[in-house]
Formats: sequence, structure tokens, C-alpha cells
Amino acid sequence: MTAINLEDVRLTLASAAGPVNILAGISLTIAEGETVALLGPSGSGKSSLLMVAAGLEAPTSGCVSVAGTDLTRLGEDALARFRRAHVGIVFQSFHLIPTMTALENVAVPLELQGAKDAFARATAELDAVGLGARLEHYPSQLSGGEQQRVALARAMAPRPQVLFADEPTGNLDGQTGAGVADLLFALQARAGTTLFLVTHEEVLARRCQRIVRLKDGAIVADTRVAAAA
Amino acid sequence: MTNLFLALRLARREMRSGFSGFRVFFACLVLGVAAVAGVGSLSSALLTGLAEEGRVLLGGDVSVHLVHRPADANELAFLEAHGRVSETISMRAMAYAIKNGREDERQLIELKAVDGAYPLYGSVGLWPGMPLARALACNASMCGTAVEQTLLDRLHLPVGGELRIGSANYRVTAVLASEPDRIASGFSLGPHVLMSKQGLSRTGLVTVGSLIEYAYRVAMPPAASIQRFKDDAAAAFPDSGWEIRDRNNAAPGIKRFVEQVTMFLTLVGLTALAVGGVGAGQAVSAFLDRKREEIATLKSLGAEGGLIFLVYFLQVMMIAAAAVIAGLIVGAALPFLVEEFFAADIPVAARYGVYPEPLLLAVLFGLLSAAAFAIPPLARAREIMPASLFRDVVSRARAHGRLPYLAVAAVAGLCIVALALVLSPSLLFAGWFLAGAAGTLVALRLTAFVLQWLLRRVPRPRSPGLRLALANLTRPGAATASVIVALGLGLTLLATVTLLDHTISAQVKDNLPTLAPTFFFVDIQPSQTAAFDQTIARFKSARDYKRTPMIRGRITALHGVPAADAKVDPGVRWTLSGDRGITYASVPPPGTQITEGRWWPANYRGPTLISFDGDLAKGLGLKLGDTLTLNVLGREIEGKIVNFRHVDFSNGNQNFILILSPGIIDKAPHSFLATVRVAAHDEEPMYRAVTDKFPGISTVRVKDAIAQVNGLLQQLSDGVRAASLLTILAGLLVLAGAIAAGQRARLYDSTVMKVLGATRAQIAFVYALEYGFIGLATGLIALAAGTAGAQAVTERVFAVAFDFDPGAVLTTVLGGVVATLGFGLIAAWSALAARPAELLRHP
Repeated sequence: MTAINLEDVRLTLASAAGPVNILAGISLTIAEGETVALLGPSGSGKSSLLMVAAGLEAPTSGCVSVAGTDLTRLGEDALARFRRAHVGIVFQSFHLIPTMTALENVAVPLELQGAKDAFARATAELDAVGLGARLEHYPSQLSGGEQQRVALARAMAPRPQVLFADEPTGNLDGQTGAGVADLLFALQARAGTTLFLVTHEEVLARRCQRIVRLKDGAIVADTRVAAAA
Repeated sequence: MTNLFLALRLARREMRSGFSGFRVFFACLVLGVAAVAGVGSLSSALLTGLAEEGRVLLGGDVSVHLVHRPADANELAFLEAHGRVSETISMRAMAYAIKNGREDERQLIELKAVDGAYPLYGSVGLWPGMPLARALACNASMCGTAVEQTLLDRLHLPVGGELRIGSANYRVTAVLASEPDRIASGFSLGPHVLMSKQGLSRTGLVTVGSLIEYAYRVAMPPAASIQRFKDDAAAAFPDSGWEIRDRNNAAPGIKRFVEQVTMFLTLVGLTALAVGGVGAGQAVSAFLDRKREEIATLKSLGAEGGLIFLVYFLQVMMIAAAAVIAGLIVGAALPFLVEEFFAADIPVAARYGVYPEPLLLAVLFGLLSAAAFAIPPLARAREIMPASLFRDVVSRARAHGRLPYLAVAAVAGLCIVALALVLSPSLLFAGWFLAGAAGTLVALRLTAFVLQWLLRRVPRPRSPGLRLALANLTRPGAATASVIVALGLGLTLLATVTLLDHTISAQVKDNLPTLAPTFFFVDIQPSQTAAFDQTIARFKSARDYKRTPMIRGRITALHGVPAADAKVDPGVRWTLSGDRGITYASVPPPGTQITEGRWWPANYRGPTLISFDGDLAKGLGLKLGDTLTLNVLGREIEGKIVNFRHVDFSNGNQNFILILSPGIIDKAPHSFLATVRVAAHDEEPMYRAVTDKFPGISTVRVKDAIAQVNGLLQQLSDGVRAASLLTILAGLLVLAGAIAAGQRARLYDSTVMKVLGATRAQIAFVYALEYGFIGLATGLIALAAGTAGAQAVTERVFAVAFDFDPGAVLTTVLGGVVATLGFGLIAAWSALAARPAELLRHP
């Protein structure tokens, strides 16, 4: 089964200096349960490709299909409903809601789904990332690593089919980052979720089954990582 | 529903971050709601008081007024059949202080003679306290009087002193502290004096044709119907000329005044709400800007746009609800505060209390205006893209919210306007006021836009300070536009009021005296005319002496249609509602401007012909050849209108709406009215000469009457100015809010400039330039808009020439500069005081 299917995806954004071509005809297929790293230098279009695939941004042209749904046909609110049902996202700068506790942050996507047991499941999810004792802490009372673990719990709580992670360790020091990465892959393996990871760290990328290299908005290489890794 | 509960839950969590950004929003709403609620509550207290105290204020359940003549035996019998009757007789007269057996100082008074039944309701306040009958009792040589303290002050008399009125002397037995029915007696030219009917008969002033008003108050049994009384009276005495008032409308003038002032103050309150709304919209925008990231995060987690809107709309409306409640508390407390501190200054027995109706109205106005101003920025926030978490894609989000949201905001705004118009006693005034305020808002916004557009095109100055000031005025999110709009509206209102006040005061103070007579002499008897003419002729400086026969009468029918049923313009209804002065003449009086028709021949003595005021005729729907029925001294006189005249009421001279041809009217008993203008040095001697020789003639100094009118105008314009300060206060709140919103950017700028070596004085100079310019621009725009408004009102409404007042320049322009500069520099102080290192360490 295919989790993500992109066909000739192009993205052009307007800017003061004229239109800028961000993605130049990307075609990519990711199978269900597969872990894929998108590797490339700054400005290569990695984050834009993630946004398009996660339904956060509409492509200028081309087809985007995720979990069997053609995203290009969906309106803004339908996309929101699609995300809440099928997709989890982890950001480089966490993006926790500062006025909510760790527990409430994790419960939000479940509440949006209308889950009656949102808080029980959120508690279990925070337990799973080792933050069972920090449920009532606000983001400002947590360290960077802890905040990213809350973000991971929040992304995984609704059991998404696809997990998008945008430089998840980019704002963390080496040791904390490694811990978060371990957790990310552990959670992914346990749930069997498809992982689409954007990074510029070769080491992190190599923990995935497949590495797609991007340059100037086009795929320049698509390689399988040796199973031994 | 699930969405609403989820939105409530999310909103509650969001609200943990506090409401520091909502202080201005809160304060503006409290101010506007408190104003509308307070004005409405106070007005309800006054109107309820007027209604409940109607019979006391009127002096009875019904009151029948007659001019020139008392009720005859039949009429009295009719009145007495309906309840207890009290008769009062009112006139103007001269009172002379008697000192050492001789007449000394003198003063025009309002004399009222009462019978033993007076007052039917309420009580007369006397000092020292005693029964009214004792105070007014007569013995063989003298009657007692109760007089107002002002008369004693002007005549330098003590209680117990002696007065002469007409041909008799009176003992002042008490000070008249309060009369229950005072308010129903209308405008007074002199202090009130109360005496018995027996006392009045001794004055010798009661002659047929003198300007005397007889009032009969009837205390009816509780079950009796007022309408029945009126119907019976109309059937029994169709031609009697009775003017009937009842307890339900005891003081129509006061009631109308209260209603109109309420309408004006409510509109000012709404303007304050509108100004506050500008600040509220700004506060909501700033709040949502800070929440951008959270909104985008919620969206990336799957929240739909509608849910986002609901989450933040609920928060804003919860704050609005709290502000409305606070405003209601202040507004509802206002009547009690007035009772505590100003009860003595209110001429009506107000019923201070909590009135739900005006409070409900204030709630509606408050919530509607909060919604109208908050929805547009909330609708924009709904469109924030989740992709903005990855990169700044502001340009890709919609600049405006979706149409349905904007339509809801517009409907909320229109509801406010519709509500204000529907509830207003004068649709025209409310409509013009709201249109003026809206027009001014749009004009200010446009001017602000043009100004910023121009400033962006000004070549960059070489001085870094000037360059920064210029950049601050035009950068995105600059306070320029909002301050010009918010403060500008209040200053415009102030400028309009100041200029209107100046023009009208100038009209009354400077223009009137040059045209107006020095004296009005009332009740000159036919037998006195020759002697009176001679007395005036002795004064060399006497000019424009005019002596005219005058008799009072009412218009009872227009071309056969009873006056009460005639369809007339409400603006001229007053012509039919009471007695009017009528004169007669063979030839047109000097200065007459006939606009239509012809004057009758000088020797005409046939059926009555009428010359009528042309402007009023239009409002009454009269044309040449129509007949008018007049009731004079209880008799009906019918006449045909043969010409229209232009009557100028603004010069204070003798003006008669009705001039009749002689032949019939001149046979009725009547007196004469005279006016004259004299040089200042002859004023006192003429006053002495006339009052010495003719104690029965009432002498009115026009100067005194003008001073009294001027005093009233002054109070009114002070009130209006105080009300406009409310709008300015709202503007200042918005100003403070706009400046606070720019505080972070200012802190950053000032730190960078300090790092680069700028002194605090140099930085303060930049801010002073910036704020001074905004204030100056706001003041100048407000002055221009205010001048246009005041000019339109003076020329169109009052029909007098507009007179510009340099004082207005000072108040508006200087007011604008001082307010903006003051607030700006206070806010800048903390930016100036901050140490660069702190900000650089914790950016």
C-alpha cells in the first residue's frame, strides 16, 4: 500500500522580486510503514515539500495523494479534517501552545477528533515519552528536549498513518537531540507509522530506510539505506 | 454544539495568558456603556419623576388657562362639578421697596395671587416656616406676601420689610423657598411673589385687557377620567379659548428638553463607543498577531477555520461582557451619584432608582459595537495559514476576512445605527448626527491614509533623527492612522461645539444689543398712552420708539379645521398650542416686508383681514385667501389672510405673527406694548422716570432678559462641551493603546540607537518630532472638520452668519499636540530609561 504519492509536484511562490520556483516537478512514492529522510542543503525546498505532502500548502500543479486521499481536491477545512484524522507533524521549534499544559497540548488533536477519552490517552502518550510526571507543566517550565518529547506525544497521540517531522532535533543539543531521535524511531516502530523526516543531518537521515536528496527543488538521488544501519 | 463546547474549552485555556493587551479595549467599552447606561438611567429617573409628580407640578389633575379674563359663573360651575378647584392669577408687575415711607429701589416681578385652596397638591416652602394662609393674610392696612430671596437681595429688603405693588403696600412675611407648581409656570423674567387674591385686588392692576393669566386647577376624584373632562369641556364651551393641560403632561417643555438632551448625550456616548471601537479593533488585531503561531499550530493539528474563529471570538466577547457589566454598574450608579451630590440643582423631583430598560439598551449597544469592531480582525485570523509555521507567508494569507463574517460585522454596526435612530425622539437630528460622525470618521481615515502616502514620498532627510521620526510615522503598524481617527473625532466634536458656542454667543451678546430695544413696556393702558409718549419723548437719545396695541388670543381653527385636528409641520405646532400676541394696524408697520399679497387700504373697516408670518404659513399649510379663527377674550373672531410677511425673530424687536385689520379687534379691551432704544446714559433715568410715574406698567430691561437667556445658553454649551470630553477621553484611551502597542518596537529602536552612540536627549527629540507631528496633524484635521460642521449648523440650522473663533484653534490644535506629545513621551520614557545591555542579553 502506498502512504504518500507525489506526481510532478510544482510549487511557485510570488515574491517582491518576482515568482520563485520552489519545487520543480517532484515525483515520489512512499510505502506504508516506510521511513524516509529528505536530505538537502538550506533552500533546497525540503520544508516546502513536507508542507505540500502534509496538506499544509497547496501545490501550484501536480498530484498529492496521502493515505489514499487526493489532497489537491480538498478545501481548507477539509484539509484540516484530513490532517486531524491521518497526519501527525513535529516541528523544529516544537510549536507547543504556551497557554496549555503538556497534557492539554497532547489532548488537543484528540479533542479535535471528538475523542471522549482524550485526556486518558494523552496521559498514556506522555507516559510513553517519559513525561508522566510533568503532565501539568506549561511549555515554559519544560526544557527544549522535554518540549520536543511533548510535541512527539502530541503528533503520535491520534495514531496517524503518516508522521511528518521537520528537523525535529534541529533546535536541540547533540545528546538531547539523539534522545529525541531514539524516541521518534521507537514510537514509529511501535505504531508502524510511515515517517517522512526532513533533516540536513546525514547521521539522522541514515537511521531511515530510504534517503531522498533534494537540490534546487528537484530530487537528485533516492537511495535505500543498508539494513545493517 | 460539540464545536461550541470544544471552542469554549480551548478559549478558557487560551485565556490563561491574561488580558494585558485588552486594557484599552476594556476601558473603551466600559466608558461607552457607562455613558449610555448612565444617561439613560438618569433620564428615566427624571421622566419617571415628571410623570409621577405630574399633578404636583401642574398643581392639579387638570389645569385650565385663560388669558385676559377670569372664568365666568357657568365655567366655574362646570369646573367645580368635576372636583375641588383652585384659582391662581398671574401677571408681571413692578415691585418698589418702601424705605422711610418712600419708594426706593424697584424690580420687575412675576406676581401670583392664590386662593385659599392653593396648593391642591404638594406644599409651598416658606422661611420662616408658617402656614401659607398666615403668610398671605390681610389686615385693614396691609396684606402679607411671600417673595423669593432674590427680590429681597435686589431691593435690599429684610423679611418684615415693606413693598409697594401697584397702588398698595405689602409686608414681606416670608421668603418663598419653593412653589410646587413652579416648573409649569415656565420662563420667568423676575423673582416670584405670592399674595392672596384679596391682596391682588388692592394693587389696582387688574383691568380688562391687561396681560393677566387665570389658571384653574382641578383636583379630581381618583376614578375620574381626564379625557372625559376634556370631552365634556369641549362640548360645553366650544368657543371658550380654554387651554387645558393635564397631569400626564404637566411640564411638556421640560419633558421635551430631557428627552432631547438624553438623545444628544446618548449619541455622544455612541460616538465614544465608536471611537473606542477603533481602539478595540486595534487591540484585537494586536492580540491576534501575538497569537499567530498558536493559531497556525492549532490549524496544523486539524482545527478548522470556523473553530479558530469561535475560540477567539468567545474570548473577545467574554472580555466584552465583563466590560459591559462594569460599564452597567457605573451607569446604573450615576442617578444615585447625582442624587447624592446634585439633587438640589435638579428642578424636578426625580425618582432615583435602577431602570432596566436603559441598562438593557446599553448592553445591546456595548455587545453590538464589540462584535462590529472585533469580527473583522477575527475573520482575518481565521485565514492564518498553518504553513506560516515554516516560513513567513503573511503575503499569501487573505488581507481581509471572508464576506459572511464581514457582513455579520456590518449588520452589527447597522443594528446600532438603527437602534439609535428608532429610539431617538428626533429622527432627523439623530440621523444627521450619526451621518456627521460617520462622515468625519471616513474623512479622518482618508486624510490619515493620504498623509501617510505623502510622507512615504518625502525625500529622506539627512539628519538621522528626522529620518527615524519620518520612518516611525509611516512604518507598517504605525500609530499615525489610528490616533488621527480616534483622537480626531473627539477633537472635531470639541471644535464644532466651541465654534457653535462662539457664533451663537456672539450673535446674542454683540449683534442683538445693537438692534434690540433697551426696554419693553408691557400693559400700558389706553388712558395712559399720551402721558407715556410724552415721558419717553423727553429723552433726547430715545430711538425707534414704537407703541403697539396688543391683545393675546389663540388660533382655534385653520380654514375651518379645528387647530387640534389640523395636519401641520411639527416644527410650527407651537403656533397653535397657546396664546399668541395679536396687534392691529391700518398701514404696514415700518420695516414690514410683504412677501405675498397686498396690505389693506388705510381706511379699511370691513370684515377682519389678516397679515400672517409667511414662513409659519408654509408649515401650517396656509395660503392667501384661507380663513383663521381666533379666540380673543372668549370670543371667536374669523378673518381672511390677505398677505404674508417676513418676520425676523432674531433681532429681539416687537414681532407679531398676526396683524389684523382694525374694525373689530380694536373694540376689544386691550393694552399697549412699547419698545424704545436709548443711549446708555439715559437708561437709568428713563427706567426711573417710567417706573416712578407708571407703577402699573411692567418695565423689562432687555439687557437683563438677554443675560438670563445667555446664562441658560452658557449652561447648555458647557454641558455639551463636557459631553464632548467623553469622546476625547475615549480618543485618549485609543491613543494610549496605540502608543503602548508600538512600545516593543520603540524599545528596540532606542536600544540600537544607544548602541550606535545616540544620547537620550537625541532619541527623545525623535519621539517628540513624531508625536508632535501626529498631534498637530490630528488637531488641524479636527479643526477643519469642526469648522465645516459648525459652519453648516450655524448657516443651515440657525440661519446666522458663521463667526470663526481663534480660541477654537488653540483648544483643538494645542489639545491634539499636548495630548499626543504627553502620552507619547510618557510611554517613551521607559524606552529611554532601558539599558541596552538588558535587551541585548534577553532579546
